Amino acid sequence: MSKRKLKNAHLPIGECVSQVHQILRERFCRHQLPERPAGLEAQHKHLEELLKRTAVHGESNSVLIVGPRGAGKTTLLRCVLRELSKETEVQKNLLQVHLNGLLQTDDRVALKEITRQLHLENVVGDKVFGSFAENLAFLLEALKKGDRSSSRPVLFVLDEFDLFAHHKNQTLLYNLFDVSQAAQTPIAVVGISCRLDVLELLEKRVKSRFSHRQIHLLSSLTFPQYLDRVRAQLRLPDDFPDGSFAEEWNASVKSLCEDGSVDEVLRRHFHSSTDFRSMHALLMLCLSRVSVAKPAIRPADLLDASRLCSADTKVNMLRGLSVLELCLIIAMKHLNDVYRGEPFNLQMVHNEFKKFLQRKSNSMYNFEHPVVMKAFEHLQQLELIRPVDGSSAKTQREYQLMRLMLDHSQIMEALQKYPQCPTDIKQWAASAFA
Amino acid sequence: GMKSFGRLRVRRFYTWRGNPLSSNRKLRTHEYEVDGLPRTTVIRTGQHILIEGDDDDNPFAAKVVRLFGDESGQQKKAVVQWYVRVSEVPPSKLKLLGRDPHPREIFFYQGGNCDDEVNAESIIRPVQVKHLDADASFPPSDDGDDDETLYVKLAWDSKVFRILDSALVASPPRHPNPSLPPSPPRSPPAATPASRTSSRCTLPTPDPTVLRRAALGEVRRSRAAASAGKNPAAMERGRGGRGGGEEEPGVLSGVPHASFLDPNAEEDSEEGEGRRGDGSWKTLAGGILTSSPLSPQNAPGTPRTPRNATPSIPSRSLPARRPANVLEEARTRLHVSSVPESLPCREQEFQDIYSFVESKITDGTGGCMYISGVPGTGKTATVHEVMRCLQHAADTDEIPPFHFIEINGMKMTDPHQAYVQILQKLTGQKATADHAAALLEKRFSNPAPRKETTVLLVDELDLLWTRKQNVMYNLFNWPTCRHARLVVLTIANTMDLPERVMINRVASRLGLTRMSFQPYTFRQLQQIITSRLNKVKAFEEDALQLVSRKVAALSGDARRCLDICRRATEICELSAAGLVGMSHVMEALDEMFSSAYITAIKCASTQEQLFLRAVIAEFRRLGLEEATFQQVFVQHQALCRVEGLQPVGVSEGLAMCQRLGGCRLLLLESSRLGVLQRVRLNVSQDDVLYALKAD
Repeated sequence: MSKRKLKNAHLPIGECVSQVHQILRERFCRHQLPERPAGLEAQHKHLEELLKRTAVHGESNSVLIVGPRGAGKTTLLRCVLRELSKETEVQKNLLQVHLNGLLQTDDRVALKEITRQLHLENVVGDKVFGSFAENLAFLLEALKKGDRSSSRPVLFVLDEFDLFAHHKNQTLLYNLFDVSQAAQTPIAVVGISCRLDVLELLEKRVKSRFSHRQIHLLSSLTFPQYLDRVRAQLRLPDDFPDGSFAEEWNASVKSLCEDGSVDEVLRRHFHSSTDFRSMHALLMLCLSRVSVAKPAIRPADLLDASRLCSADTKVNMLRGLSVLELCLIIAMKHLNDVYRGEPFNLQMVHNEFKKFLQRKSNSMYNFEHPVVMKAFEHLQQLELIRPVDGSSAKTQREYQLMRLMLDHSQIMEALQKYPQCPTDIKQWAASAFA
Repeated sequence: GMKSFGRLRVRRFYTWRGNPLSSNRKLRTHEYEVDGLPRTTVIRTGQHILIEGDDDDNPFAAKVVRLFGDESGQQKKAVVQWYVRVSEVPPSKLKLLGRDPHPREIFFYQGGNCDDEVNAESIIRPVQVKHLDADASFPPSDDGDDDETLYVKLAWDSKVFRILDSALVASPPRHPNPSLPPSPPRSPPAATPASRTSSRCTLPTPDPTVLRRAALGEVRRSRAAASAGKNPAAMERGRGGRGGGEEEPGVLSGVPHASFLDPNAEEDSEEGEGRRGDGSWKTLAGGILTSSPLSPQNAPGTPRTPRNATPSIPSRSLPARRPANVLEEARTRLHVSSVPESLPCREQEFQDIYSFVESKITDGTGGCMYISGVPGTGKTATVHEVMRCLQHAADTDEIPPFHFIEINGMKMTDPHQAYVQILQKLTGQKATADHAAALLEKRFSNPAPRKETTVLLVDELDLLWTRKQNVMYNLFNWPTCRHARLVVLTIANTMDLPERVMINRVASRLGLTRMSFQPYTFRQLQQIITSRLNKVKAFEEDALQLVSRKVAALSGDARRCLDICRRATEICELSAAGLVGMSHVMEALDEMFSSAYITAIKCASTQEQLFLRAVIAEFRRLGLEEATFQQVFVQHQALCRVEGLQPVGVSEGLAMCQRLGGCRLLLLESSRLGVLQRVRLNVSQDDVLYALKAD
């Protein structure tokens, strides 16, 4: 009954569109967890069982979740934790500590953070008292006092796990793994990393204490599966306030995915990368074009979004250069062709440019030396060229050796797109050897 | 004004007074009775005295039983009955007290194992000791710094506290002596029947918070506070002149000294004075013996760990579930943390370590042992087992009591923290690393009476390496001190650590007592699992054998073996089979040991796979194992055309390359180098080609 009621509820179109934006944006920014992580059922089960045993039986464990970036490692963990928190037996017992290798850059910081998140007794407000050594001793003492049956289990999540392996002596990892293999407070150590060789980073005694459980998030995906994912990501949920709008939207999504040009664009994306992140980036661009006047995603939107996503950044930068700077870049390209990628200096580039000017009778591009110098420096600031490693900074700027950071294809593409590019320059660029 | 000895080292001179009472021909010793002269401190038999110890603020307390000297009169000695201070009782045993110890409480020492002869020179001065009845309350502890009276209620025999008979404490009636302040009434009340029954005292149920406070904070703090209050005053007095009250002005102001006078008192005392004039005020170089002044408790202004902070993890609100079926039971037993009833396969090693430590404890000597072996071969577990057995032997009085402490090089932030941790575990004191080192040095090298042997386990020894190696040096040097009674067991992974990293003076002190734990063989591993399972039938025989053989071939690490078995029970549970069979174990092994590179390549996107192929093509063209991105990209574009795929742009190509570098299929230079960055494969070319072909 209630469903029908909902379906009948008609909202103004503006309301519907803003709802669509909110729901889908939350999804694309991964604020809203999926019902179940797609294609990861086995891994989900493994991790859920593991953490449940820690929470319910007080069994210590350690595990690494390994997979390429954007494969859904964090999402998997968050899904599992969400499931677990529904069970009172887990929710009332499990303590959680979340660390990130990019934030806790050494063990000193990490220990303070652990102590703070555990609310140990040497924490007042948000401040952790004591020196590094005291904090370590305090934490170890606290963990040592606990035992399997009476202490609350602690879950340690170490995001960017590989970075923790670079800490001095791997003290934190050794101690966490050691606790996980000792009759102390039950803990579960979950490491998240994108490095396949993460185990090789561990020192031998740290490695020995790690349980060697690894959950790999590697799954090959076929294009139809990918297409299903795209459709599922764009679909509005059944409990959308305006039923008829949702139906229309979902139908439009379905027909969008069946469109030939869309198929081609998505296939191109699929070939390039199968991860969620790049898919979300693409869909987000499409979504931002949805408005009251155009309450659906059309194939053209997807094409535009795809073009934006795959646009070459350097080419875009080249389009903003002055003609002089562009000429210098072309001169560098020719130097690269002649000298097979050997580094060059400003003087050589300027000479090359002068050769081009000599063939032209007009003096349209006849610039003073300081002006050329300025342009050269600007190119360096944009990091389109960079000084050769080891060339001393003492060298006079004109003679400092540089390398071009662009591929020829990028230069040619930029010339195509450059607004009102003089033909003679285009020809100069295209000529094999100047 | 007797406290000024705080940080100053003063040489005291004692002379005999009166004729010897009796002499022992055989031992050629004389016994004396002594009498007091004005302005000198007199030590009499039966009196309570303070004796120099490790800790200047808390000298040893004792009661003089007998005074004697040799024929020449040069050696003056005293036989004493020791008292132990609160700080000398191991913190773990202090719990038996069941209450807060009074800061100036001492215990009548009834344990054996201690040298009860002291040199007269080490006697600092007499002290007041009051006996209190078991149920009497202590006077308030903060009644001024001047009151030095110590209180004794109980006797301590290194295992339990007993009620003490007041007669043992009572001092003999004193001769009237005008120079000393009138002694406060010291004769304790007549022993009540209750106190005479020297049975094990009935302790109230210990209140955990009190216990913890007792073990950690209270005592130390009050001591620290006392020393903080004392030291500046002491220094000032030392500097500010020698005007101390009743003492001889100009000579020994503020310095306690005592004398036993012998027949030719005049000469000797003059000679003594002369020596005092040039020598006695020598304070030893500040850095060596005095402690660092910044002990963590009394550094003002800096916020410190809140007082009474107890390290603990909150308790569960719901009880932990017990294992419900055979597989769960097996899993619990196979967890590395579960302590087995006995350690199989290490009987010989166990025996060797046991006899080594046991002999040192019984002889009251010291020594060290170096134990090596790859991770997971049971080194620490065996030592712990040995200590458990020895502890049991000590509890049943088969061997003298000892004190076991352990440190771990990986569980500290800096090698010098080892000193802090050892001191903390020995005495419960907190100190900075330098201060702790000095205190330990004193404790182990001074001929002060040691009460029991200390066994120190140093795990992960190699982490204690410093450039000058002084931490390692000290750890190996202390046991060689005659009075240290210290047994050091060190554990590290490599057999040749002493040769490799230790400089000669360290290596030579380590001695030759070495032991190495060989990796487990497959039979031993099998036995370990079987003994842990202890008749819980969860595994097929073949499955166990497979695990043991596999692990023995790889590392011989028992932890690995147990972890694989544990994982196998989980896989078995998932597949709803009764017994863990070969297939389950195979799957577990596969999960843990197979490299994921090939799967990762198979699961990469089409363009990423193409990029890997381009990398190999470029390597072959160059004949090198390294190429720049730009070079590879040219190949990639060509391959795209061959495969009929739309070529990707440079930005996209770079992003792809970064993704492959992120999971370490490729090794890349810094991404700032853009198209110039060099690319290398992190997998063999054959693996890449195999993974791509099988597709």
